[in-house]
Amino acid sequence: MAADTQQIAQRIPEEKSSLPAVVLVAGWLIPGLGHLILGKWVRALLLFLSIVGMFLIGIAAQGKIYQPGSGDILDILGFAGQLGLGLLCGLAHWFSWGANSAVNTLADYGTKFIVCAGLLNYIAAVDAHSLANGRKASL
Amino acid sequence: MTLSHFSAVLLFSLFTSVVFGITQRAQPKMMIRFGAYCFVLFVGAVVIASWVMYAIKH
Repeated sequence: MAADTQQIAQRIPEEKSSLPAVVLVAGWLIPGLGHLILGKWVRALLLFLSIVGMFLIGIAAQGKIYQPGSGDILDILGFAGQLGLGLLCGLAHWFSWGANSAVNTLADYGTKFIVCAGLLNYIAAVDAHSLANGRKASL
Repeated sequence: MTLSHFSAVLLFSLFTSVVFGITQRAQPKMMIRFGAYCFVLFVGAVVIASWVMYAIKH
């Protein structure tokens, strides 16, 4: 009990710092950057390679890049997933990467790769946030 | 770009398992173990589902 109280008391100063918010936003903008800021460079590299790799395969397969404001609920959900890619999502819109619609099976796979890469980046950014505020053990 | 169904499964499973392993476990050894477990489950589920679909069709 005393140990629990001590752990909580130790956590409070970390929660007040801006580091958790910084690593959360950094990890969302660039996959793995949140972990890199925390000094976990191996995890950062693996996350970056996995998420960017999935995104690039999706783009190469002519996966669909969802546009905001189309009104279709599935498009909105797809866009919310792809928004998890942070800067990569912005670059895809800016340079018109991918396709406006999935025209074959491979392109449909590509669309799923891009959306899942975004969702995985959400998980990675939240993991970096949990490491920074002490909610997850940093080993 | 040409990607077969099975190679797409392998790549998806690999990348997803790496992220799951890193984010869902705290110790490096457990990360590797959980990542490998996820990879086997992903690929195994696909192989089983493929055989089920084959059995239904034939």
